Amino acid sequence: MRLLPTKPFSRASLAAPVAALIGLGAVVPMAMFLVISVYSVDFDSYTLQPNFTMASWREVWTHASYWILIGKTLNNGLLAVVMTAIVGYPLALALSRLPKSAKGAALVILLTPLYTGEIVRVYAWRLVLGQDGLVNALLMFAHVISEPLRFLLFSPFATHLALFYDDLPFMALALWVAVERVDSRLIEAARDLGCRPTTAFRLVILPLTGPGLAAGTFMVFALAGGEALAPNLLGGTTGATPMTMIDNLFGTAFDWPTASALALTLLLVLLFAAFLLSGLALVLSGGLRPLRRSFA
Amino acid sequence: MTENGAYSFLTARGLCKAYGGKASKRAMAVAGVDFDIGERAFTTLLGPSGCGKTTILRLIAGFEHPSAGELRLEGVSLAGVPPERRPVNTVFQSYALFPHLSVADNVAFSLKLRRSEGDIARKVAGALAAVHMAEYADRFPHELSGGQQQRVAVARAMIAEPRLLLLDEPLSALDRKMRLHLQGELKDLQRRLGIAFVYVTHDQEEAFALSDFIFVMNKGRIVQTGRPEDIYARPVNTFVADFIGGGVMVPAEVRQCAGASAWIATPLGLYEAPASPALNAASQAALVLRPEALLSCAASDAGAFAAVVSSVVFRGDRFTIGAEVGDLSLRFNSEVLLDVGARISLRLDPRKTFVTAVGD
Repeated sequence: MRLLPTKPFSRASLAAPVAALIGLGAVVPMAMFLVISVYSVDFDSYTLQPNFTMASWREVWTHASYWILIGKTLNNGLLAVVMTAIVGYPLALALSRLPKSAKGAALVILLTPLYTGEIVRVYAWRLVLGQDGLVNALLMFAHVISEPLRFLLFSPFATHLALFYDDLPFMALALWVAVERVDSRLIEAARDLGCRPTTAFRLVILPLTGPGLAAGTFMVFALAGGEALAPNLLGGTTGATPMTMIDNLFGTAFDWPTASALALTLLLVLLFAAFLLSGLALVLSGGLRPLRRSFA
Repeated sequence: MTENGAYSFLTARGLCKAYGGKASKRAMAVAGVDFDIGERAFTTLLGPSGCGKTTILRLIAGFEHPSAGELRLEGVSLAGVPPERRPVNTVFQSYALFPHLSVADNVAFSLKLRRSEGDIARKVAGALAAVHMAEYADRFPHELSGGQQQRVAVARAMIAEPRLLLLDEPLSALDRKMRLHLQGELKDLQRRLGIAFVYVTHDQEEAFALSDFIFVMNKGRIVQTGRPEDIYARPVNTFVADFIGGGVMVPAEVRQCAGASAWIATPLGLYEAPASPALNAASQAALVLRPEALLSCAASDAGAFAAVVSSVVFRGDRFTIGAEVGDLSLRFNSEVLLDVGARISLRLDPRKTFVTAVGD
């Protein structure tokens, strides 16, 4: 006699809807781009010609201008990761020490900027960083500077600041979850055995939150590297990204094959770099061993 | 100077710790405590959960700061001294071994921090050998049993050569056999190291087995301090008597005090018994009646009273018999098996009882 009902489905099958969505929304389009990338365009009739050619791949892989743009997104992602991690750790530690009752409110506050929408945030930055913006006005008022700082807006500075601000919640959240899981007695034990607070962080908290840092790195790198709007609208002449290029190629130029080749190249480079960077975060934090252990 | 005349190594005066923000809601975890701990003594803070014993340990370690009062180590105030600069190490209740470090790296942790001279590997091997864990140096904490983790935690704490080792219920998570075994090892280790141990437990048997001195705590205060045998024989009040030795508190009326003994009237009769010197005729008192003070006897014996057996528990070398006398439920030890419901006669040996104040 069976006392327990038979299992209607396995645990793994719960992932099926998401798998279907990813297949439909990401894998299928990517496959289509892959096909289109080896087509050519007849610019007289503006139609895609299904004849096999590697011309668009050659175009993308041999022209430095594409790689300068790809390098820029890598740089955007890397800087965002480093800055969000440096600010995110103290933030996560502070959040983890809040009383339980305050944590819900802290979470809402942390995520509120995400609700404002990107366009709103971009124009808010213009108000803050512009020539007549808040920062310049305050610094002038305080007689710290005699004329407005010009590097604040339409500059790499503005791009990096906006990316940092946009992506900080994701890094902070990943680190917060990781820090919460570190038993506070381990930190006390480290202090007890002779660590100053900073040493305790380096020797205990950092390794034990390494997997969280790696996850945050992966997310922030993808978000910041894939960002087009903020660099475009805040970075000025320096703000071009492969996304704008892809947009132009698809839309204005009707060069779908080159756009597809560039998009796929960018995807591969970003993915590779994200794995590399996350792995690096895991190794440098000393978090590789705890991660292995949790899967053991 | 401590009570036994030894040099006072660690001193607390008026030590208080309050938790919570608003003054009206503040809970006093430690409510004004004075104590002296000797340099080589094994001292145990014994009390029920929530009595403040762990808070005192955390104050000594430096994880908490006193709300009032102060701690002095060899006469020097510990106020504002962070944990890492106190010559004190802790064995945590849950061991708190670093999960990302091997046993050897856990033990070497404090030595590597100090970049101490000499051969770290040799010292680590020595410390692990001292706790019989030499062959586990390359394991990770999650690969060890509770008892093994506890030994590593002790090795990690003692390799730092503290002047004072704090142990927060280090054996409470272990099974009874392992607990008894490790009690012996800890006591042995304390003798060999010759340093002060401050041990926190709620288990009076453990406290008796280990301690030179016991501080019995309740509600944030130290209720009684003394040697285990003194506290057992002469509890200052019914809380201590109940917590330490169990037994039954028989209501008693003090008729006459005579130094170390008193004449008392109880439902079981009139007795002269050892008594707390703080008692007087107006005191609310109780007779502490432990199993060893009750004897089965013939109905015709002097002082005999009738009882009915209500329960029998087999203890291996003896039976613990529950007996009802009027509305009192007594317990005593018997070598012979009695039947539940049997009518028997009991008498008590007043020399093995104690008259103490009702209170906590």
